[in-house]
This record gives sequence, C-alpha cells and structure tokens, in this order.
Amino acid sequence: MQFVIVGTGGQGILFASKALGHIAMEKGRSVVGSEVHGMAQRGGSVVSHFKVGEYLSPLVKVGEADVLLAFDQNEAVRNLHYLRDGGTLVVNLYDPKAFQNDRLQSSLDRRKIEVHPIEGYSILKEHMGGRFLFLNVLILGAMCGAGVGGVSVDEMNQAISDLAPPRFVEENLKVLKLGHEAAR
Amino acid sequence: MSKRSILLGNEAIARGIVEAGCEIATAYPGTPSSEILPAVAAYSDQLGTKTAVEWGANEKVAYEMAVSASFGGKRTCCIMKQVGLNVAADPFMSTAHFDLKGGFLLVVSDDPGPHSSQTEQDSRYFAMFAKVPCFDPSTAEEAKEMVFDAYDLSERHGIVTMLRPTGKVDHARQDVPLRDEVLPPKKDEFKKDPKRWVCLPAGVRVNHPRLNDKNDVIRNEFEKDYEKYNYIVPAKGTARLGIIAGGTTFAFLSDMIRTSGRDDIEILKIGTPVPLPVKLCEEFIARHEKVLVLEQTYPVIETQLNDRNKIMGRWNGFVPRAGELLPELIEEIIAKCLGDEVETSIDEDVLSAMEEMQITPRPPMLCPGCPHRASFFAIRKALPKAITPSDIGCYTLGIMQKGIDSAIDMGAAVTAASGFYLASKVDGEERPVVATIGDSTFFHSGLTGLASAVYNRHAFVLAILDNRITAMTGGQSSPNVGAKLRKGDQGVQIDLEQVCRGCGVSYIKTVEAYDVDENVDVVKDAWAYAWENKEPAVLIFKHPCITILKEPPTPRPVRMDPEVCIGCKYCITSFNCPGLVFDESSKKAYIDERYCVNCGVCMSVCPHGAIVLREEA
Ligand code: SF4
Ligand code: SF4
Repeated sequence: MQFVIVGTGGQGILFASKALGHIAMEKGRSVVGSEVHGMAQRGGSVVSHFKVGEYLSPLVKVGEADVLLAFDQNEAVRNLHYLRDGGTLVVNLYDPKAFQNDRLQSSLDRRKIEVHPIEGYSILKEHMGGRFLFLNVLILGAMCGAGVGGVSVDEMNQAISDLAPPRFVEENLKVLKLGHEAAR
Repeated sequence: MSKRSILLGNEAIARGIVEAGCEIATAYPGTPSSEILPAVAAYSDQLGTKTAVEWGANEKVAYEMAVSASFGGKRTCCIMKQVGLNVAADPFMSTAHFDLKGGFLLVVSDDPGPHSSQTEQDSRYFAMFAKVPCFDPSTAEEAKEMVFDAYDLSERHGIVTMLRPTGKVDHARQDVPLRDEVLPPKKDEFKKDPKRWVCLPAGVRVNHPRLNDKNDVIRNEFEKDYEKYNYIVPAKGTARLGIIAGGTTFAFLSDMIRTSGRDDIEILKIGTPVPLPVKLCEEFIARHEKVLVLEQTYPVIETQLNDRNKIMGRWNGFVPRAGELLPELIEEIIAKCLGDEVETSIDEDVLSAMEEMQITPRPPMLCPGCPHRASFFAIRKALPKAITPSDIGCYTLGIMQKGIDSAIDMGAAVTAASGFYLASKVDGEERPVVATIGDSTFFHSGLTGLASAVYNRHAFVLAILDNRITAMTGGQSSPNVGAKLRKGDQGVQIDLEQVCRGCGVSYIKTVEAYDVDENVDVVKDAWAYAWENKEPAVLIFKHPCITILKEPPTPRPVRMDPEVCIGCKYCITSFNCPGLVFDESSKKAYIDERYCVNCGVCMSVCPHGAIVLREEA
C-alpha cells in the first residue's frame, strides 16, 4: 500500500504518516516513508510519502500511489499525478465550487479516481471552535470513513490514543469520529 | 537483534552511534542532519551510557572538539550538513592526515535537490579530497549498520571515516532493528606525542605518504571484505543493462525490480564509494555492453573509474548533472539507455485545470506571527533605500518581503555589510546598510565579522534577530539562550549586548520586535549614529519564535474593515503574512482565519488603517 500525503507546512502532515506507520507496525508489516523538514515546512507546499510492505525506497513513484491524502484542495490537484488510475483521493475542500472545475472532473472520471471530499474547516469551525490544528486527525478519520488505505477506524482509534499527547486524546478521538462520519 | 522500531533515518544513525559506544558527540544543527544529536542524547539516556552531547557554536568548533576527544582512544563523532563541512574543512583536512587513536566518525548529510540548502555539493568529493574513506547508505537501516563498520575501520587504520547519508535517508521513516547492548566504552589514555598531534609542515612528509598507503589498504578491503555494502544483484533474465548504483538510487532500483518485475537489469551496489573498489567495478563493467552509473549528486564513483568509454552517467551528462534522482526520473533514464518508450504522466486536463484554478506551488514563508516579519517591515519602512544583506536561517525567507538583498553563507550578513559599506565609501556617498542575522547564526560566524568591522570602522546597522532559538532546523538552543541539549544540563547564557560591547560596539539597543511603529525610529537613529561615528551600530530585535511558545501570548485579534480597505495590496506585498489574503472579486484584503494567529502586528502595517482591533464579543 502506497500513500502520498500533501498539504502545506504546519498542517500536521507528519502526524498522519506516524499514525499510519504505527498501525502497520502493530500488524507486523514493514514500513518506509519520507518526512519533510526545514525550509519546506514553513507554510510551503509539503509532500510526504509512505509505503507499507517490503519496500526499501522512501519515495513513491509518480502514478503508483494507492491513496492521496490531501490537506488542501490545491495541493491535491498539484499532486494528482502521484495517484495510480483507480486510486483514491481524500481531500479537504476549502472552496468546493472551484474544485468542480470541468477539466479536473473529467480527468478524475477518466482515471477512475474515487474522490472523498470533506469540508474540514467548516467541520472544525462548527464542532471544535475553529481549532484547525485538528485537521490531520479529521483527514485520517475521513480516510477510515471512506474505507481505503487498509486501515479500520478501530485501528485508527487505537493509534490516535497511543500517539496523541494524553491531554488531547479525547478531543482527537472526537475529531476522528467527525471525519469518519463526514466521509461515509 | 530482536526488536524493530519505526525510526527516522537520523534516529537510526543516532541509535547506531550510541550502540557503537561513542562517548562524545558534537554537532551544529543543519537540515537534513539536525535530528541526529538530540536523538543521541535520548538514546544515551535510555541505554544508560554517559555520552557527552554538545552543540558547538559552529561546525569547525564541533569538529575540533570531537576529533580531539578521540586522541586518547575514545570513540567520538561529529555531525553536520554538507555546507557545514565547508566551515569545518580546515580541521577536517588537517586531521585526515593524522594517525588517530580512538575511532572518529564524521557524519555529513547531503541535500540533493536541494531542499533547504544553498548548495547541492557532494560530500563524497570532500572525502576524496581529504583521502578519507566514505560510507554511502541506501536506507536508514543500512546507515545504522554502517556506523559500526565506520568505527571499526577508523580504529583499525587510525583514520577519520565519513558516513554520508542524503536527505532521503535522514528523513526516511522506517522500521529498523535495535540492539539492547552497547559496545563497551574505552578509556581515555591520551599520551603526549607532539609529532603525532601537532600539524607541523614537517609532519606532512611522513603523514601524506602514510595516508596514501592507508587508502590503498582500505580500497583493497572494500574490494574483498565489504560484501554487505558492495554487491551484485543479478538480473532474473538476460541482462540488457548494468547499473552501478549508490545511495538512495539503489533503494529505488530494488523497489522497481520488485514491483515491476523487471528482469533485464543487473545492479552493482556500491556502499563505499571512497576509495572506490575499482576492480569490482571494472569486472562488472567488462561483463556488460552498456553501463549506467546512478549516484547522488556528483559523479564521484564515475570519475574514479579508469575507463569511462562504456559509461553513461552524470560525468558525460547522460544523467542530468544536477538535481535529485527521483524515481520517475531514474525510470526515464533507464528507458533512454535501453531505447524503450517512456510513458508520460502529463495530464493535459489537470494542467489546464491548474491554470484555470490559478494553482501554483505555495512557497515557504515566515510563519504568521513571526517576529522577523515585523523586524523586516520596520527596517524597510525606516530606510527604504538601505541595502540589506542577510544570512542563513528562517529569516532568509524575508526575501518574500523584499527584506533581503544578499545572503551568502552563515555569518556573511555582517561581512557583506562591511563590503557594501566599503563600496560606497570609495565613492564617498552615504548609502545606509542594515544587515540582518539570527542569534544562533551570529554566534556561528557573525562574531569575527563584527570584530573586524569595528576595528576597521565600518558604518552599518547590524540587526540581530533574536528569537531565542535556532528555528529553521527544528528549534535547537544557542549560546544566548544557555539551555543545553539534555534537560537539567544548564549552560552559561551569553548576553548578546555584552558580547557586542566586548567587540567594541558602542551603540547597542534591544527592542521588542513586535513594536513596529517605535522600531522605525530606532532604526533611523541607529543608522544616523553609525554613519556619523563610522562604526557599526547594533540593534537586537527580541521576540520569541512563535513555534516555541508553550502558551500563546495575549491575543490581539484583528479584523479587516472593508469600508476602509482600498485594495492597494500594500499589506500583502510588503508584509506578506499568510493570514492576509486578497479577494479578487471584491478587490479587498481579508484575514484568512485558517492562518491568522492574532498577533495584531498587521494593524501597524495598513497605511489606511483598515486593519483594526476586533472587539471580542
Ligand atoms: S488592508 Fe490596507 S494595505 Fe491591505 S489592501 Fe487594504 S488598504 Fe491596502
Ligand atoms: S494578526 Fe495580522 S500579522 Fe498577525 S497573524 Fe493575523 S494576519 Fe498575520
């Protein structure tokens, strides 16, 4: 299973691959991926790769990702080429109208890409007082809700409980549920 | 070796360093190497070793501490990024000649691509230059394993050894085996022996030939005894192409063969590129009609080959001479070698969608609420015509705010200011110069430049942007903060004002970086003083980096008054906070609450007073 996770620096992308890695390890699978550090983290575009299985290289080749987790709709479009035909896109929409672009939709259709959109910011505004730092867990919830990535919501629940700072576990689990429901 | 754990490549290297019994580890932070030293501290505590861990004020300092600590027989190491080795090049070249006693490991992380560096240089060339053996890992697991062999090699031959991971190894996250036991520490038994430890020219006549002999012996070892790093992966079918691969390119090739079932490629994997096991390579080349060399970033393996007639690689430009070898690029190069079709991944629909949706890559920016942005703004507003040299760190991103006219390397803000001053002095004209440098960078290599500028009477304003942290590399401490790597291990805090005073600066002022309005006058005043007295004036813009704040400061929530905003975009072009966005339909600016941290600084920015305090309901 090969994941590409995209967004902008500061959105908590690294936590997403940590959670995926934790789950895979619990199942005794090998994992390898790449993190983004330094300059690119300062609000700029960020791409992180993650592979579960017998791989050596931390990079996903263009056209081979099974799942694209996009924390930002523009970054989703910029990185669509990583997805294989028939792959799945889980995307946080900020401006859903713009995402309806004809050419974009026709490419998604042609390549049989399954799209699971959530409007993360409105959900977090409504339920979490606009604390957007929960976006990463929301996306992970949406991924489980969409039933992709080979990860069940129970496994994700466990991973979040193990990894999140203790005093934020409860809120994180609540967000996970919100994401799960939003994408189902 | 029982347990496996998911580690960052840098953590894997650190774990190897501790398990191998290293007792003194030093570094200066630099992406992609920065996480190694903190992880050494953590594993040392976990495994109960007493390993000393220290940030040196710069790489030269760190290198000299670590290598000297090995003279009595202990295992030590020094860690840095590729450009850091330029700073440490002096002691590196000298001690490469030494007949060392203890094991000394130099870890240098390279940044092909480059993702956060001012060069793409290949440290393996430095290894070649210094005639020092180099290990080039393909994966995090291999990097960890190489640490043990590097120490062993260093001790057996009394030579500096280099481990040269690239960013994709450093920042890989991978499951890696752990050992529970640590190799036993060695006693420090330094024996006075000036012939051995003093680098007199006379010594070179002995040292250099001895170093050459060591290289011959090590090359021979690499040919025969290091099969675990230098080996052949035979083709499943008939090989149409031979590839010599080192570093992360090998990892990708393995994945490619496994997933695509490709059966027509034979690979010679080289994990010890310097000194190159040439015979091994030549035997391999002899068996193939065509040979491709894939390595990051320079043609180091390639140029060590005696006969390059059959070779396709970076040296002859078959492989691009610069840039990172990403999987899709490697695949393209192989196809080109074999004359196969390359499938294109370009999707015209998506391209035009991107154009219609106006999607461009988001460049890195100073964080919302970053104190540097406020400092740059005040400086530009005070002296719009000033030349503004700057330096290496987060604040280099001030280029987005047009706050930076030059940046060369660590510390060059100060020396460039001297240079700009001299250029205008010769013409006899007043041209303000305001240099910006970070607190950590100032200690790294700004100090000597300042001493030189005071001594020579150079008129400029030096703005030290003191955010209490080395932020770009992940938040390490520095001498003006005083905190050390291990909690509870307290250093002496060095006061910036006093240091500058000690250097002979007489005009020194510390200001709150957020106070934009006041600071405009302060900058003007500082320049007037510098020009009149022909000496540098120092301003310390102090405000903690927002990434280290445990508790957010008192919020000053802002709101945009659309009635007042005239849509001039001044706030965006000259202040450039991610929280300020322009709405093309209404032709007005607005606050993007996804990014805004309510620092309130932008209230001082809008010349029309459109950004105002929001009355909290
Ligand atoms: S907020 Fe002020 S500076 Fe920004 S566009 Fe409006 S008027 Fe111009
Ligand atoms: S208050 Fe203004 S300067 Fe501060 S983060 Fe928000 S938009 Fe940026």
